[in-house]
Amino acid sequence: MNTLLPAIGFGLVTASILAVAGVGFTLQFGVTNILNLAYGDIMTAAAFVAYLVTSAGVSVWLALVAGAAFGGVFSVVLNRALYTPFVRHGTRLFGMIIVTISVSLIVQNGLQAIFGASFFSLNMPRPAPIHVAGMVFTTVQFAIIGIAVAAMLLVHLLLRYTKLGKAMRATASDPELARNCGIATDRVIDLAWALSGTLCGLAGVILVMNVTAFTDTTGSQFLIPVVAVAVLGGIGQPYGAMLGALIIGIASEVAAAVISPDYKNVVAFVILVIVLLARPQGILSEIATRKEVAA
Amino acid sequence: MPTSSDRPVPAGTPDAQAAGQPMVAAPPGAPAAGPPQRPPAVLRLDDVAAGYGAAPIVSGVSISVGSGEVVSVIGPNGAGKSTLLKTVTGRLPVMAGTITFGDRDVTNMRGNRLARMGLGFVPQTRDVFDTLTVAENLEMGGYLLSKSQIAARVDTVLSVFPALAGMQSRTASKLSGGERKMLAMARVLMLEPSVLVLDEPTSNLSPDLSRSVLRDQVRRLADAGTAVLLVEQKAFEALGVSDWAYILVAGRVEIAGPAEDILARPDIREVFLGRSSNADEAAGG
Repeated sequence: MNTLLPAIGFGLVTASILAVAGVGFTLQFGVTNILNLAYGDIMTAAAFVAYLVTSAGVSVWLALVAGAAFGGVFSVVLNRALYTPFVRHGTRLFGMIIVTISVSLIVQNGLQAIFGASFFSLNMPRPAPIHVAGMVFTTVQFAIIGIAVAAMLLVHLLLRYTKLGKAMRATASDPELARNCGIATDRVIDLAWALSGTLCGLAGVILVMNVTAFTDTTGSQFLIPVVAVAVLGGIGQPYGAMLGALIIGIASEVAAAVISPDYKNVVAFVILVIVLLARPQGILSEIATRKEVAA
Repeated sequence: MPTSSDRPVPAGTPDAQAAGQPMVAAPPGAPAAGPPQRPPAVLRLDDVAAGYGAAPIVSGVSISVGSGEVVSVIGPNGAGKSTLLKTVTGRLPVMAGTITFGDRDVTNMRGNRLARMGLGFVPQTRDVFDTLTVAENLEMGGYLLSKSQIAARVDTVLSVFPALAGMQSRTASKLSGGERKMLAMARVLMLEPSVLVLDEPTSNLSPDLSRSVLRDQVRRLADAGTAVLLVEQKAFEALGVSDWAYILVAGRVEIAGPAEDILARPDIREVFLGRSSNADEAAGG
């Protein structure tokens, strides 16, 4: 009991970061059907943008906004300049995965060339501890949870109650049918990349706010749990990703505290495998993905 | 098998149709029919070729639909009917020929722009947004309308399909085949299309429901002025509600003419529709 509650607290922080990253990842995949494996490296690039901003003496909260904006703009440009031409030339799902891996390596090595293979940390005030119901958080971790909750709430409101959000879900469900309804799917896809990229950038910055140091591979190492969250929840299902983040985030931290930190990822992925054995389509997905890459 | 002498007359050009020339030869001994009166074409395909990859599935296809008409495209499996509709609705590129909507060339225009012009499409499968609720499907059907217009149209459409009114919060993937087809029709009617393209609207429906869709919904829409282009495997039922028909064989229009004339032709019934007059007599039809 002594270790369980703090572990759940850590789990909530991890789940918050995973939720922001996972929802962005799965939302973009759902709308475009492109499995963007450069996602983790865009997170890292956004973290480096925040690093540059805080190094200039600007507040970490403005750095957070800068990192999120960078992620959004970079993702839209990446899609328009690179991914869309490949899709229009007929590159299918597997081919696009290879393209995104190439982008991942380009970004990662580009960051290493620019910043060097070293450890970096954001220039931010030392956070104070906060005790809540037997759990210990820092002020930054508390803020991370708040940011994640606010981001998830905004995504929920967007998807459920706005015309754009419903058009995104319609495009994710069937892009051809969406076009036949008069939806300008190209514009919707651009906005999906922008939203996904913004969440990606946000996740990259809050990820490095929660650690003492980061490197040019921090984001790519985080990609596997992000993909796991998306798959667990049902790929393309933002609400599934939120639930998946909660399950994997808390399970991994509780396993680390109760068994051993060595089993952190083991337990998380055993849960993933068991759930997928029972529901191959993920927790919240009712239908399997059948569509081709949206162009 | 028909011989070359009893083979029906090949389809002519849309100009010939517009001029009212009969497009199907009268059977031997039959009285000469007067020229069928067709309304001016709203949607018109001239010498269209389309397909997947380099090889066309349909070629040299010329068809037209006028306001208030139900026009059927029928033919055996693999004739290219669905390919033709995908081309008309901007889902497949046109390799040759032109498509005209009103007086505007819409060849290779994307589906969202065609929808803005008034072309509605109900595909054979994947005809609704599975992950959206019934209400959200209708809203997406009226995507181009303002919020207040959507509310008004939803009321109108639900008065046509009252069964949908009680299931607005249900996710589309949980609907039965008939409910799903109703939703697909309701969704496409949200924009009050001037041309409605239907790809096998009765597939997976019971015979009673199929008749209801064709006789009550499709015919009623045409009677209200909508031009309906219909592809249907249930050829007899489709011809029964159609004004004009094209028989597509191996990607080409082999026969065109008034639906009732085609229905009356025993040779066509046997060769293209797979039913003999003897069988009809035996069945009491």
